[in-house]
Amino acid sequence: MRAARGRRLRGRAFHAAVAVPTVLALALLAALMLELLSDTVSWQVVEPRGSGETFSFLDGFSITSSWEKVVTLELAARGSDQAEIDALIRDPEERRKFAARNRVELMLWADGKLLRWVVTGSRDVLVQDRGLLEGWRQRDELSAGLKPGQHLYLNPWLDISFFTKSASRTPLMAGLAPALLGSLWIIGLVMLIAVPLGVGAAIYLEEYAGDNAFTRLLEVNLRNLAGVPSIVYGILGLTVFVRLLGLGPVILAAALTLSLLVVPVVVIASREGIRGVPNSLRQAAYGLGATRSQVVFRVVLPAALSSVVTGVILAVARALGETAPLLVIGAAVFVPGLPNGPLAQYTALPIQIYTWVGENEREFAHVASAGIVVLLAVLSLLYGAAFWLRRKYEKRW
Amino acid sequence: MSTAGGGGNGMGRALRLSRSETRRERLVAILLGLAALLTVLTTVAVVIVLARETFEFFRDPLVSVWEFLTGDRWTPLFADKHFGILPLVTGTLLVTVLAVLVGVPMGLASAIYLSEYAPPARRRTLKGILELLAGIPTVVLGFFALSYVTPVLQGLIPGVKFFNALSAGLVMGVMILPTVSSLASDALQAVPLSLREAGYGLGGSKLDVILKVLLPAAFSGLAAAVILAFSRAVGETMIVSLAAGQRPILTFDPRETIATMTSFIVQAATGDQPVGSLAARSLYAVGAVLFGLTLLMNLASQALVRRFRERYE
Repeated sequence: MRAARGRRLRGRAFHAAVAVPTVLALALLAALMLELLSDTVSWQVVEPRGSGETFSFLDGFSITSSWEKVVTLELAARGSDQAEIDALIRDPEERRKFAARNRVELMLWADGKLLRWVVTGSRDVLVQDRGLLEGWRQRDELSAGLKPGQHLYLNPWLDISFFTKSASRTPLMAGLAPALLGSLWIIGLVMLIAVPLGVGAAIYLEEYAGDNAFTRLLEVNLRNLAGVPSIVYGILGLTVFVRLLGLGPVILAAALTLSLLVVPVVVIASREGIRGVPNSLRQAAYGLGATRSQVVFRVVLPAALSSVVTGVILAVARALGETAPLLVIGAAVFVPGLPNGPLAQYTALPIQIYTWVGENEREFAHVASAGIVVLLAVLSLLYGAAFWLRRKYEKRW
Repeated sequence: MSTAGGGGNGMGRALRLSRSETRRERLVAILLGLAALLTVLTTVAVVIVLARETFEFFRDPLVSVWEFLTGDRWTPLFADKHFGILPLVTGTLLVTVLAVLVGVPMGLASAIYLSEYAPPARRRTLKGILELLAGIPTVVLGFFALSYVTPVLQGLIPGVKFFNALSAGLVMGVMILPTVSSLASDALQAVPLSLREAGYGLGGSKLDVILKVLLPAAFSGLAAAVILAFSRAVGETMIVSLAAGQRPILTFDPRETIATMTSFIVQAATGDQPVGSLAARSLYAVGAVLFGLTLLMNLASQALVRRFRERYE
């Protein structure tokens, strides 16, 4: 009797012991995500240089030209007369210069109002930066302690303007635009290169290859490639694409390097799908007089499509988050303009995040958090899509 | 492998194809074969690139193979150059061992839970979440280590540096957890039901069956999972470059700032080393060691998996 109870207790203790790590890992993940999200918002006391105004929502509001209205108010506050203001707003070159140095944003909780227009300049001085909760508790003290000309905002680092701003040495002005565009270019090219290669190799292995030494070599090699550290692909890309082919540190070199890296992912997923297609389908097609390539491309591949697409999505997700190879092949850390083609210098999402994490200024941690939230959101969408596809089109033959 | 169509290159024999059709069929086969061949070429290119530059590196009079393997100073980027890879190897080992100490027990436990205890619906959800965890880019994990884990550690343990091996190792443990968990639970699920039933038939409790039947039966599969996790930790770059620092010193103190093979490669590649200089070549020598190590571990892991499969399938 006692022995039986002891056994039951030990069994239960073991059950708890193996369940704990999973729960712990999930709790840790949840805690990190919360911390990350709260890091994307901060309370800031800023002392503008030049002007010192914020404008009420209604003052600057207009459906078509809020920017002009707010800039007019701002310039008037800086002491320009109407003729100068009109000249600036009409001249595209002057507008561009103004936009490069200043940013017009609709901010939350600026100066105690729910919404205010704020013109932030690259020369604004940050006086204080408080976390979301801490700042909320101290908001009365903070607004009471404002010196003339200073403003208190709730700054959501991850707002719409974050996607349109360029890289900058000033945290307030830094945004994702070049990194997003760079990553899009890379992903697009990776899909063009890696999908045909990966799917082709998978078809060859499943439908064409005989049982011989070459096939076995291919198999062993593929499994090993999937385990090669990504930084080694970086060394390969640096030597072959950047130097030997003389491409230099451009988008095409990055796309070629990452393509080699993700081909095994595409191959493995596609093979699984192709292997799942029952032979009766192939035999039926041959029976109708189809040639081998017709069987492969009109029967087998369409039947395996959901696995292939899942593989492609996973490959894209992998390529999107890879940092080390891009660092080694020399992704630019600071790109002045937007990349405009496969031979342009570029930066990519993970590289931009790496740069921001490495910055000394405390505020860049907020910018980095905002960037990470964007990256993780995109990846979650991709993984969600893969998961859904697998569930929905999981055929039971 | 398809059995339909007769295998081999039998097309055009069973059916009478026109010459253009035959030509097209052959072209398709060749193109597909080329795609497969390219995966082999990738490996060949990696080996050639690493071997050539490493050979050049060792031909330099300043470098000797003996010093490279046994020297305890690694300063290729300084004026006084020393090329002893030991500090990088111990740095890598330190972080990897920490990661394995965290990731393997947790991964194995979660594999046992997922494959033996969790009800099917919960297993699917948890597996999905673990996959998501595996998909977090390592640059993000590096940020977590640096900004969230390190401050906590500094509060708990005296003497923890801002860049330290401990924080990187712990977070890397979380990184390898999904790998261990998913491979190990595959191995456990592959153990035939008859073995479990025999265990219960002998009067074993669930715990007895897991500890005395399943784990020994799945041993080589579990070992393969652990070795693969080891290999992933050795090759991991971003967590260590962000959170562990870039100071190659020979130490086993996890509170210290260290450098690993991967973080050195990043450091050397992002600095302005002239192409062909000794410092630039040292990157390839380190890369070759890294590639060799991970290759050995991957091969060992595959051999174990094969043995495991042969026994039960």
